[in-house]
Amino acid sequence: MTDATLNGTGKPARLGPLARLGAWLGQERVFRWIPFVLVEGMFLLVIIIPFLLTIYISFLRWRANRPFEQAYLSGFRNYEQVLTNEGFWLSLGRTFYFAGAAVAFELIVGFLLAMAVHRIVRGRRIYITLFLIPMMLVPVVAGYNFSMIYLDSGPLNQLLSPITTALGFDPRIRWLSDPTAAQLAIIFADIWQWTSLTFLIFLSGFSALPPQLINAARVMGASRRQIFLWVELPLLKPAIVIAIVIRSMEALKMFDPVVMLTFGGPGTATQTIAHYLWEQVWMFNKYSFGAAASILLLIMFSVLIFTGIWLLIRQTEQVEQQQLNTGSDG
Amino acid sequence: MNNTFKNVSLGVIAATITFGVASTISVSAQQTYDPVAQRAIDGARAYIKANNLQNPKLDVLLNSLYRNSFPDFAAEWKELTGVELVSEPLGYTDIPSKVMGEAVAKTGAFDIFNDFPYTQPDAASAGVLHPLDEFAAKYKPDFSGIPEAFVAQQYYNGKQYSFVLDGDHIMLVLRKDIVENPKAQAEFKAATGKDLGCPATMADWEEQAKFFHTKAGETRWGITFEQPLYGAMGYRSVNFSHRHFPAYFGGLLFDKDMNPKVNTPQGVAAIKALASIVQYMPEDIQGWGTPQIYPFWGSGQAYSVMSFPSIFGFGNANPNSTVKGKQLPCVIPATTAGGAPVRRAAEAAGTSYMVNAYSDQPELAYLFIQWLTSPSVGNRAIAHPKGFWDPFRQQNLGNEGIIAKFSNEFLEETMENAQFTTSLLYIEGHYEYMKILDNNLAEVMNGNKTPEKAAEDIEDGWNDVTEDIGRKNQVDVWRKGVEAGLYIDKF
Repeated sequence: MTDATLNGTGKPARLGPLARLGAWLGQERVFRWIPFVLVEGMFLLVIIIPFLLTIYISFLRWRANRPFEQAYLSGFRNYEQVLTNEGFWLSLGRTFYFAGAAVAFELIVGFLLAMAVHRIVRGRRIYITLFLIPMMLVPVVAGYNFSMIYLDSGPLNQLLSPITTALGFDPRIRWLSDPTAAQLAIIFADIWQWTSLTFLIFLSGFSALPPQLINAARVMGASRRQIFLWVELPLLKPAIVIAIVIRSMEALKMFDPVVMLTFGGPGTATQTIAHYLWEQVWMFNKYSFGAAASILLLIMFSVLIFTGIWLLIRQTEQVEQQQLNTGSDG
Repeated sequence: MNNTFKNVSLGVIAATITFGVASTISVSAQQTYDPVAQRAIDGARAYIKANNLQNPKLDVLLNSLYRNSFPDFAAEWKELTGVELVSEPLGYTDIPSKVMGEAVAKTGAFDIFNDFPYTQPDAASAGVLHPLDEFAAKYKPDFSGIPEAFVAQQYYNGKQYSFVLDGDHIMLVLRKDIVENPKAQAEFKAATGKDLGCPATMADWEEQAKFFHTKAGETRWGITFEQPLYGAMGYRSVNFSHRHFPAYFGGLLFDKDMNPKVNTPQGVAAIKALASIVQYMPEDIQGWGTPQIYPFWGSGQAYSVMSFPSIFGFGNANPNSTVKGKQLPCVIPATTAGGAPVRRAAEAAGTSYMVNAYSDQPELAYLFIQWLTSPSVGNRAIAHPKGFWDPFRQQNLGNEGIIAKFSNEFLEETMENAQFTTSLLYIEGHYEYMKILDNNLAEVMNGNKTPEKAAEDIEDGWNDVTEDIGRKNQVDVWRKGVEAGLYIDKF
């Protein structure tokens, strides 16, 4: 027993409640549980409880323009309404179109940029910094900048005017009010901002390529094209799948460029599923409808994402197996 | 002779001085004494004393348009009563969701909500608004000189929930310098057989828009246009098109049983007219809101604009405006969609003040609102150079500050226009009903739908919303609103 726990009489000193709590927490059997309890507690509070509440609300009949006390259970009525709602399916389809087009371009452009930067020696750091800047911008700021660029008398149309005039088109393209042009405008804004991410993923993939394999191929007389096609590209598959999965997950939630550029318009031409849900819940107060739609989307997107992750794992395993085989052959 | 002249002169001078002093006293008395405002001040002082409040404070969820003008009135209220007003400015598109979020969270974080009146039906039904009838009976506000539709907008389902301080009824403004150009007048007369001036009907407006729509580089009426002159401008973007629809429709949007009347020849004609004039508007108009429309009008590149009344003040006061003194305010043109010409100027936005039901000091919050919207303080608000409150009541007419800001010519027109003011749909689900209308109007303007198909889809969409919220409730509130004069038209 230390002096600190003894009073003048030699008897153990009585500890205050805080000190006792500290002593209890300090015990090995308690202390090891603290991080777990904190993390799980947060998880329960931030994820599990709201998720369970969302499921509960999805079975209620409730608009926020009536007090919650008036809500009542309505079975699967909200789910039925969502699944038969034309707006839901149209905005979902539009989301896949935007995400598909944007992610495809981001993958191609990001890959080409990463390949180019990987091969150059001088000024590499400057290029990397430059190509990463768009991703570091706050999406709202990027959206605002694009809203200025896309004005019908704005810089983009002025840049394009020699081409459009030569082709006999109206040089004042209505980037934000023509349905087709507005869709392209949103896709392009997303590509501009998020190609940085695919560039970063691919660059790390290129940097991680095992040089011995490439050297071996070169020694065996493979051309640059053959090395790229048969050595580098297969080894980059995990990076490609990672880029597809991460970007698709994000692109399916596309919201900021829609709000900043078109607010879903003209009409609903640029309304994504995220914007549609925001509108249903926050503008129309249809909380239970929104909850049911969210659950359905979670299921749909989960299937897609898990398929992507399964692909990723399979590709990684294949590459590891290839490397093992190559190593044992060598 | 000399003495007589002297006496007469002195008499005239004395009479002039007396009259001047009397007038000054009378004017200053008129400006300072307002029983409605005074009752609010006295009431607030008494309330604070009775409840022994120390450093009383009210939180206001403020429409960010008023961030530069509201603080002046907040400071004055603090000086008068000791109540501090803390405002949280927020964009008007975000305020309804904050109010409805408060209906669920019940925090009492805000005492006063400042937003469009159209937030009121949902908010009142959700129980987040404090009914003001009891306070109104005690402190006696004054709604004299306010057109019926504006007064009715302060009530929902038979109870008062807000005070209105803004005449946002849409009106038409033309380019006076062009209208008064003799060559333009002669050419227009020769082409149409009509005199040039404020158009009587929507068809007349479109006729003028077509006539004055001019390509860049053309020389007309002795003027060479280096930039194109667009024949017309108006709100045609998401969340705005619907605000102009009542002017084209000219009647009640539903029958007595809440069956939509849009899928009728009248509705189809209204959709066609609203979409048809777009060909004379700037190409990007479907992407434009106020931040684009006002400066474009100020740049002088349009012949006419249908907008909120404040565009006239913007055209006169903005330092970059090229249309200062060149504006001709007009009463809303009549629609003939239903046969006979009918003028209907929708209260397209508006500014109202509501009290949070979960506020700790609802009575104190009410008293500030009564003071701010009282005839005298309201006049000063409307005259405020950085404010966006527009004239709407008879008492605004004689106010020097308002005349200086808006001009007598404008005031006369806007007050006449106010007589045709009708509300947008003032029932629960307002934003959803109007979004359905907006989406379909956009489809027609983009050529993706025929007006007939759009009318059918609007009808279906509106019926779905009515059923979803509850037809019985909607019918009941709709009938009460019509009877109260919200829409001018009756069943």
